[in-house]
Amino acid sequence: MRKRLGATAAVVASLVASLVLAACSNPSSGSGDSGKSGPAGWPKETAKLNGTTLTIWAAQNSNTVAKKVISDFQAATGAKVHVVTIPDPYEQGVQTKVASGDKPDLAFWQPTASELTSLNATTNLQTLDGAPWIAKFQPALRNITGLLNGKRYAALISSPAVEGVYYNKQVFAKYGITSLPKNLDELLADARQIKAKGGTPFYEMGGDKWATQWWVQVQLADAAKNGLWDRVNANKEKFTDATILNAIKKYKALVDEGLFNKNITSATFVDQGKALLAGDAAMVMQVNSFFGELQASASTDELNQKIGFFPISPSGNVGTFIPDQSNAVVAFKTGDSKRETAARQFLSYWLGSEYPKYLAAQNTVSLETGVASPSTVPDALKSVAAAVPTSVGSMQALAVANPDLYLNLANMLAGTMSPQKVASTTQAQFAQLAKAIGAPGYK
Amino acid sequence: MSSSSRTRRRFVHPVLVTVLLLFALGVPLWLVVVTSGKSRGDALSPSLSLPKHGWHFGANYSKAFTDGRVWSAFVGSVSIVVPSVVLLLLFGAMAAWVFARRRGFVVAMLYAIAISGIVLPPAVITLVLLLRQLGLAGTLTGMVLVYTGIYMSTAVFFITGFIRTIPPQLEEAARVDGAGPIRIFFTIVVPLLRPVLATATILICLYIWNDVFYAFFVIGGRKDTLPLNLFQVASAGLYLNNWHLIFAYVVLMSLPLLVAFAVAQRRIISGITGGAVK
Amino acid sequence: MTLTTSTDAARASGAPLPPPGRAAQPGSGARRQVRPGQPWWFLLPALAVLTTFFLVPTVYNLVYAFTDWSSFKTAINPVGFENFRSLLSSGVLLADLRTTVIYALLVALFQNVFGLLLALLLEADTKLNRFARVMFFIPVIMSALAVGYVFQALLKPTGVVNSILGAVAGHPVRYAWLADTRWTLLYVALIHAWKWMGLAMLIYLAGLKTIDQDALEAARIDGASTWQTFWQIRFPLLAPAMTFNVATAMLGWMNSFDIVQATTGGGPAQTTEILNIFIYRTFGQGLFAQATTMSLVLLLVIAVMAFPTIWLLRRRERVL
Repeated sequence: MRKRLGATAAVVASLVASLVLAACSNPSSGSGDSGKSGPAGWPKETAKLNGTTLTIWAAQNSNTVAKKVISDFQAATGAKVHVVTIPDPYEQGVQTKVASGDKPDLAFWQPTASELTSLNATTNLQTLDGAPWIAKFQPALRNITGLLNGKRYAALISSPAVEGVYYNKQVFAKYGITSLPKNLDELLADARQIKAKGGTPFYEMGGDKWATQWWVQVQLADAAKNGLWDRVNANKEKFTDATILNAIKKYKALVDEGLFNKNITSATFVDQGKALLAGDAAMVMQVNSFFGELQASASTDELNQKIGFFPISPSGNVGTFIPDQSNAVVAFKTGDSKRETAARQFLSYWLGSEYPKYLAAQNTVSLETGVASPSTVPDALKSVAAAVPTSVGSMQALAVANPDLYLNLANMLAGTMSPQKVASTTQAQFAQLAKAIGAPGYK
Repeated sequence: MSSSSRTRRRFVHPVLVTVLLLFALGVPLWLVVVTSGKSRGDALSPSLSLPKHGWHFGANYSKAFTDGRVWSAFVGSVSIVVPSVVLLLLFGAMAAWVFARRRGFVVAMLYAIAISGIVLPPAVITLVLLLRQLGLAGTLTGMVLVYTGIYMSTAVFFITGFIRTIPPQLEEAARVDGAGPIRIFFTIVVPLLRPVLATATILICLYIWNDVFYAFFVIGGRKDTLPLNLFQVASAGLYLNNWHLIFAYVVLMSLPLLVAFAVAQRRIISGITGGAVK
Repeated sequence: MTLTTSTDAARASGAPLPPPGRAAQPGSGARRQVRPGQPWWFLLPALAVLTTFFLVPTVYNLVYAFTDWSSFKTAINPVGFENFRSLLSSGVLLADLRTTVIYALLVALFQNVFGLLLALLLEADTKLNRFARVMFFIPVIMSALAVGYVFQALLKPTGVVNSILGAVAGHPVRYAWLADTRWTLLYVALIHAWKWMGLAMLIYLAGLKTIDQDALEAARIDGASTWQTFWQIRFPLLAPAMTFNVATAMLGWMNSFDIVQATTGGGPAQTTEILNIFIYRTFGQGLFAQATTMSLVLLLVIAVMAFPTIWLLRRRERVL
């Protein structure tokens, strides 16, 4: 009896021990990673793929983007393409699944260097250098994003989002603003004019939080152009230094001045859209997905009539671009060279012969020189796209890591953090991430 | 008891219960049911008011049913919960019998290991990696084994405690009569365990039926379960919540357990009476 | 016998008895009798599944707390106690720990009080009561996700609760229930209790039913009021039910993640950020090792909180 018990205990103990001993090896490698066999170049767009199934991961707000492309691709090649929606928070769900060894063939992903790093691009993603569609892109947009350490990992499929001001044309007219502000000071002057006449100049979504960071980033546009983020990346400048800290302080001062909506701490993304459409507020500092939300509740004609867009920076009308997850697609190294090649083929098809049909179905701006944008694209989106070539990179685009600045700013709006604390907390987070990434200067 | 307090009891009590029901339950449930019957526009701001644009119960429920693939999700959920519960109760009871009857340092040590799972948080990534190595990732079998592993400690804990309160005379008598352990276990011990098995079944069913977290990482995207599909239905719009569909789905999702409970209510309560709190 | 003996108390607690040598073994008969053979291999299936699908991954994972595992690179290197050090020096861990403990205590309190009150109210087997019992069990059955959605809709500034309050108060009420940096934690704990009070009610109902009617009759004849009957006879006899409820409330910490995540996501201003949510967020940033470190800390906190509480409650059962 004792012996049998001893045997049971021994088996259990050895199981535990052996796996604990193996703990120093990375759990997510060695599970079907591709080794030497790579995809076979760039195949013809409509080569037959019968029997191949591709999986695309998409977020809740991007899972219908490729619908037309997929159905046409399936018809043209015989392949099956399956879209899987990863619930929000999207990046987290994807990262966790990838870490546990689960990989799709393609996925929507933010093409910034920091996000590509967080997906461990060099190990997990295929490089897209030499793709046939790169030359088709407008020169200014070819290398604006999607690159990490000189290699291309992400394919841009829609105009990168730009941070700027969406305004209600009718409200501007109502308060006597006849020309668009040409720099930040003029913008604030206009805002004060609106406030003096009893209107609400700006509407912020402190409840849903993620948009609070645009105000700070837009103020940093000039500095970004002068290499602010390079210095931060090298640990030569911190969030707590004057440039960034003052931008945070100014944001707080503007809110305290009363230029924002009263329910700023609980307002949601949906509230923001409603308020701007209804004319309850004059302006909103936001990115493209905001306009997408407006499009879900109003027609293009109504939007063309009411909503306009202009980029803004301290010294001019310069936008800050921040490509988001719905702007780009990455291809994974799955170890199955047939599927890897098929994934590349899918991208070539999408950005090649299918491109005009895709633009028409999505009603979005064209990024390629040979293809015209559909005429039905709303004016505001056209303004946004026009701002891209001259725009400056945002924190997400230029910094090596992506701290939760928006969260700390939302806390500031709720009154639980001072601007100083926001800066120091964000800095601590940034340093921690940079260190984990192995950025020089943060060891 | 005086007659006035008795009359008080006869009137006050039901009134109190009704008021409580109305506010604590009536309001939220009314919201769910009414919103699930509204059109999309009406449902954008969920409220207690009746719909302005007519009732859409049929349209909403059938859309939730098809979009959320309710039938296959139901099958998925059932095919995970049932085997998990069976395995947990069977293995748990078997182990609990040994833990409850045997004495000694080794037994105590093994028991401590067995119930350590109650406090330890399950680790998702390593779990999924293990499943991949065993070839079970994304399978229903894998999911069942995961849940069995996670809740085994709870099962062992409750069943062991219960067995210890049962006098071993019956078992001893059977053994003296020459019955083998397996026979003793299944014919004598298990029938006496009915109350605690009932309690354990309810608890485990509740935890597993509604689980999204583990299901997402183990079988997400590949198999349907009711809570996973609720996510899909809830996210079917571009940032706008389709409250009417969400709530229709919530109703559909809660119905099976509710029906089971209503039917078995008396047995469940008497089961628990004999079980955890005697 | 109406009074409880240590036997009945032990039986009532449904818990493992004190280890041998400390107290007399109830119901074991003479020790010299041969014990029925419980085969050792009966332990195997349970232990095998538990070890393989739970213990091994969990221990494996905890080991990573001592490394620099992240999503940014493939190599993993041991770093000793570095993660713990940096975690403790940031204020967030302590703040979230505080929130977690407060939340757990609030939930245990509310769930039990509401459950007990409901059980007392619905004790008699009238038709209305039986119906009410089923109804109160509905939130228990609903998924936490669903509960989250429902209360989000109810507690919006322009939501149902405010319109009802507005109707009663006579002027519009626009209180943002889920955006109050002071009180939202309380509201979320109430929501959590709302979801689970049906279960506590059920357990207390069962407990009430096992109380011997003779003792209550005797007390009534002696002239004890309802209040006295409750506090001096019934409440003490409910001790095992209370242990069960408090134990499941405190050990059900995984459930609390769902509800908090669905209603506030940790906000506003991280005032409802229980440790689970912080872990989730850190994990999402790709800092896997740091998230694991926090899991380890959470584990210790739960052990420190739960075990003494359960031990105390068990002792109380035995005494009573």
